[in-house]
Amino acid sequence: MCGIVGYVGRRDATPVLIQGLKRLEYRGYDSFGIATVGSAIEIYKKTGRISDGEAGAADLCGCTGIGHTRWATHGEPNDINAHPHIDCSGNIAVVHNGVIENYSELKRQLEGRGHTFRSETDTEVIAHLIEEHYGGDLLAAVNATLPLLEGSYAVLAIAGDTQRIVAARDASPLVLGVGDAEVFAASDMTPLLEYTERVIFLEDGDVADLTPDHLTIYHGGRTVERPVELIAWCVEDTRKGGFAHYMLKEIYEQPQSFYETIRAGISDRVREMVREADEITLVACGTSYHTALAFKYLAESLCSIPVRVEVGSEFKYFTPPLHGLVVAVSQSGETADTIAALKKAKARNCPTLAITNMQGSTVTRIADETLLMRAGPEIGVAATKSYMAQLAALMQIVNLRCEGAFDDVLSHAHLAIGDVLLQDVREAVNLCSKAEHVFFVGRGPFYPVSMEGALKMKEISYVHAEGYAAGELKHGPFALLTEETPVVAICTPGSTYGVMASNIKEMKARKAPVIALGVAGDTELPEIVDIFIPIPNTHLLVQVLTASVALQLLAYHTACALQRDVDKPRNLAKSVTVE
Amino acid sequence: MQAVILAAGEGSRLRPLTRSKPKAMIPVANRPIIEYVIDALLENGIRDIVVVVGYRKEDVIRYLNRLDAPIQVVVQERQLGTADALRAARSEITKDFLVLPGDNYVNAESIARIKKEQNAMLVAEHPNPSNFGVVVIRNGLVREIIEKPEDAPTFTVSTGIYSFTPDVFSYLQTNEIPDALAAMIASGRRIRAIPADDWQDAVYSWDLLKLNSRMLRGITPGIGGTVDASVIRRGTVRIGTGTTIGPNTVIYGPVTIGSNCNIGPGCMIMPNTSIGDRVVLEPFTYVADSLIMSDVTIGSHSRIVSAVFGQGCILADHTTTYPSASFIEVGGRVHKEEFGAVLGDGVRAAPFTTFKNCIAGNSVTIEEGKTVVGLIEDGTRVM
Repeated sequence: MCGIVGYVGRRDATPVLIQGLKRLEYRGYDSFGIATVGSAIEIYKKTGRISDGEAGAADLCGCTGIGHTRWATHGEPNDINAHPHIDCSGNIAVVHNGVIENYSELKRQLEGRGHTFRSETDTEVIAHLIEEHYGGDLLAAVNATLPLLEGSYAVLAIAGDTQRIVAARDASPLVLGVGDAEVFAASDMTPLLEYTERVIFLEDGDVADLTPDHLTIYHGGRTVERPVELIAWCVEDTRKGGFAHYMLKEIYEQPQSFYETIRAGISDRVREMVREADEITLVACGTSYHTALAFKYLAESLCSIPVRVEVGSEFKYFTPPLHGLVVAVSQSGETADTIAALKKAKARNCPTLAITNMQGSTVTRIADETLLMRAGPEIGVAATKSYMAQLAALMQIVNLRCEGAFDDVLSHAHLAIGDVLLQDVREAVNLCSKAEHVFFVGRGPFYPVSMEGALKMKEISYVHAEGYAAGELKHGPFALLTEETPVVAICTPGSTYGVMASNIKEMKARKAPVIALGVAGDTELPEIVDIFIPIPNTHLLVQVLTASVALQLLAYHTACALQRDVDKPRNLAKSVTVE
Repeated sequence: MQAVILAAGEGSRLRPLTRSKPKAMIPVANRPIIEYVIDALLENGIRDIVVVVGYRKEDVIRYLNRLDAPIQVVVQERQLGTADALRAARSEITKDFLVLPGDNYVNAESIARIKKEQNAMLVAEHPNPSNFGVVVIRNGLVREIIEKPEDAPTFTVSTGIYSFTPDVFSYLQTNEIPDALAAMIASGRRIRAIPADDWQDAVYSWDLLKLNSRMLRGITPGIGGTVDASVIRRGTVRIGTGTTIGPNTVIYGPVTIGSNCNIGPGCMIMPNTSIGDRVVLEPFTYVADSLIMSDVTIGSHSRIVSAVFGQGCILADHTTTYPSASFIEVGGRVHKEEFGAVLGDGVRAAPFTTFKNCIAGNSVTIEEGKTVVGLIEDGTRVM
């Protein structure tokens, strides 16, 4: 779950690396470090966040360098455990994203051969192994080292006496950016956007030798050609501009993210796949799990197709008969658990579809087909616009199975999303920011919406929040209701309205303050609740979207009221690339 | 030289069009008004630009982020007045600077005239001076500013564009810039009055039609989408990417059409028309002298003349806008202006609706076959 970046070219490497790490910071922010090839290897590393200003002190020489921003897995975050790691002589430096599973054994062997280790990380063994094989040819040394490693890695290595980077990937993401007499390498394409739009996605097992003028990729000892792809994202999308937080900016980008995903449509091959499926299984984690669950409600009721939804990390423990279409939903396309599940589905010969925001990411390589969401780069750790784009992609599948019955609804949905953004949620924020616990309840497709609302609330504001199916509240959680535990209830017209309204009355009877999301023009609901947040009175599909946006705003403003670090909540990283 | 663009105000006299965006962001010839102001500054080599945002600021900030020029954004928390907005930008000002409203059109030549001056005001002649600050000038110097008088002594009005030295901040006692000017004049400072070359404001929603046709004169022709071979085009026509123009459509420029629209077959788009993004014009519809914003759908056999349609209006077949003039009260004044219709965002009209000199609020719904006239409040259902 770390971010790595590398540069070889004619520019001063330090600012390129620092800037790149800032863009990758969402992948981890415990500590960071860079190394360059000056007269020898020069290193700067620091505990803390790269954006906290410490980066300004980095002033290394050289036009070749590597950098790393860390989310600690092996060894606590401190200056010593921060990457890059060097060998005994200080001539080799490496950065690494992934986990070396046999590192303790390798470490024992290396120590037995007289190597001294400085850190507690798994990465350091790579530096020492390269050192053992190094005789002036970095590529050969890396090639000799890789077979010894078990686990996952994206590695960049430099040596003090050569202006080149050797990059290798196996089960961790690595993208190369091709510039004019310069080459970039990074965990994903966001750091590259500023310099080039031409990228190469490396495959598992690839080793690349990068010099300013040459880029050679080897696979299994032979030179291979990898296609150069053009990326459509623009660098403006990765800037915060005048917004207080990336998250707020991304919340406001949701109408566009929904619309663009709808407009991009579905490729014929995916259409065929979806039409032929007699059962759909979705595998997802976190926010993606909630969109998948919402899809289940919508697809089963609107187009009568059985849908299973499973959490990625649990999927491997299920051994059910698996058939029908398997869909992996992941913003980053690098979520380790989702990838593992996808591989399992492949092994069972199921057709597989990836829904992801990252062109060229790991899930797109494994799945038979990809449905790309058009959210653009999402930097805030809490998913907002990617959630919206996921729903757009999934609702398109619903629409496809219903022969285009919702064409009109989907093509105008972005206007309703825009409308909710004008909503003032201040009163509700006052209530939530004073609370220790908040419950979110809904029925039908609004149950996953409540779960997502609760997830947003806890992840960025640190207020304990739980999402429940409204009917489940009486089976236990009701005991927790007091005057100080606000309940956020989603209550929109339809089959669930009456029973939701009586649930709300039951909560009111226990004196819990109720914040209700209902449609504009509802005259009854505002009478029985404490705070009423209106959402546009539109089609059910659109209400799912608008209710989610209202809850995002509630979570965001509550977090701001509590002065939380909205874009980088404690202990979290955006893509979970370890199991 | 620096420039401060004031884009925090709502522009309430343009309601219902300012529901989701401030006046500065209203698209005219498919570009927000503020973009013309920024262009005029950049053409004069003024790149150090500060924009004061407030009302519906997220929209403005997102838009400014996408521009090439690096623009500094400051927030005015409460929209108290122009001088208060200027105070919000104080920490960003280090040298002589211009102040411009973000919601009026001004050309580069006008900026070139005033940027040479140290303390000056750009003035213009206007047929309805009572809507503006009327300026009394003697020997090229500003003597007095009378805010929105019933009886204006001259036709010369303030454009709200000023050139200041940083010490102006010591004169900002109240919340309005004209008060500061009065204080400067009283203390013996000379404020030069510089006539503008070209400047235009849309005070009321129907004024947007005039501004729209003025701005359409400046569009660059270009064809993005798919245009059927049988389409007849004359004059300057600009069509965005992803737009489809169906067979036998006739387009007489100046006309600009945004991206991802679906037009025709057999539509007529006459001069002085702007059409936003994702607009659908169904077959046999006629549009002239109009400003159609994004996501609007107009049914077949409609006749749209002299109309401003806000975002996301859905009008069924046989919709007519009929230009005429009747008495309408907006912003505490009674007006009699000829136009067809001004519709807020998300207005829905059933088949055979006729709008006659009508201003319909946001989300108004109209049932079949009605003729609607005059002012209709937001959210009304016309039965």
